Amino acid sequence: MENIKLIINFLGQLLPAINITLIVSVSSIILGSLLGLLLAAARLSESVVLRVLASVYVSVVRATPAIIMIFVVYYGMPMLFNDWFHTNIDGWNRMYFVIIALTVLFSAPVSEIMRSAYESIAKGQMEAGLMVGMTPFQTLYRIILPQAFVVALPNFANSVINLLKEGALTFTIGVVDMVAKAQMIVANNSGGYAWQTYCALALIYWVISLAIDKGVSQVEKSYQAKRKTIAV
Amino acid sequence: MLTIEGLKKSYAGNDILKGISIDVNKGDVISIIGPSGSGKTTLLRTMTTLEEADGGHITFSGIDKDFEKLTGKEVNTIRRNVGFVFQNYNLFNNKTALQNITEGLIVARKVKKSEAEKIALKALERVGLTDRKNHYPSQLSGGQQQRVGIARAIALNPEVIFFDEPTSALDPELVGEVLKVMQDLASSGTTMVVVTHQMSFARDVSNRVIFMADGHIVEQGAPKAIFEKPSEQRTKKFLTDILANV
Repeated sequence: MENIKLIINFLGQLLPAINITLIVSVSSIILGSLLGLLLAAARLSESVVLRVLASVYVSVVRATPAIIMIFVVYYGMPMLFNDWFHTNIDGWNRMYFVIIALTVLFSAPVSEIMRSAYESIAKGQMEAGLMVGMTPFQTLYRIILPQAFVVALPNFANSVINLLKEGALTFTIGVVDMVAKAQMIVANNSGGYAWQTYCALALIYWVISLAIDKGVSQVEKSYQAKRKTIAV
Repeated sequence: MLTIEGLKKSYAGNDILKGISIDVNKGDVISIIGPSGSGKTTLLRTMTTLEEADGGHITFSGIDKDFEKLTGKEVNTIRRNVGFVFQNYNLFNNKTALQNITEGLIVARKVKKSEAEKIALKALERVGLTDRKNHYPSQLSGGQQQRVGIARAIALNPEVIFFDEPTSALDPELVGEVLKVMQDLASSGTTMVVVTHQMSFARDVSNRVIFMADGHIVEQGAPKAIFEKPSEQRTKKFLTDILANV
């Protein structure tokens, strides 16, 4: 009982830091999805160069552990900017580096999810669109993408949850998110109540994941419901 | 109305079409028959620009040009004036039967929605599916899906409709309803080019039969002539083989 009270107490202390976690995650999801879309388009394109570049990118990024990616971006990017553009970005908010690292990390699996979802929609529907006089873009936009979206959704949700967890490494470069906050609380208690603090943290992550899952299945259901309105 | 000359197509060094010439006149119902791999489907797909031809000439809808020299605009003109019915129906799975038909009208032809729906309902009526207008493809049988596919093609009122083995993917008991619709179309004067294994359709409905083998047209003529007195040995053998299995 005592422990539960403690956990609830820590929850209250951790929750204010959730906005950093959410800003980092949501920005990376949006930017990573856009980058992933470009990568998927590159992998499906007719240009061999684009296809090879995109697939090398995806294979390298997928093999890079999140913590390494964050360090590479955090230590590497300022040097790169200094050498190439003669710009000093050392003073950037550290959150930006995490967002960039997570964006890169997220774009790889997302591009694969988008590509396979696209390919799962029969090529024949594209041809049918062309033969009723629609342009490839009209067919893509009106016929293929709405279907690919539904196919991609569950995998996309998985990737989002993965990203959320990888985002827990944000603290390693000194951004005060929930994990950093938890460490501070433990330090303030001279190392005491550590497991209760981290339990509270795990609880928050669990609730966020749950919300993502619920949200996605809600969207999926609404799509299926649309098709079940008429009895067969 | 549609003339193709010397149409050639090869894949990875294999010549699939070795110079095909076809004349389609208004009101023609042409059946293309032949063994698998003879290039029938490829012929249809290259004629309609779904596949790029490697050589040949097309005269159609004011276009009089070699296939390689067609501009994007001309490709669109060709596509706009032909209808295509696919072996696997290829309905838009995220659209209802009615929307499958209105989609091309509204998006490509810029027809008003209410007008498009009127046209679509008429097309559905012709294929006997008015009561299924709000069903999604996944809620329809194969035969019904193919009939929607046909309705989608006729609603656009094309000069000629191409059918690529329209009954090959169907369960045998569903073939009849699709053939019936095609027969109705033929007798109403629709110009049709049909790749088919349904010899009864070729013999009884079409006014010309083309027998293809190995990327060539081996012979063509009135169904009666082809089926009763084929002049080529290959045609005879094919017909004997296929009719033996009916």
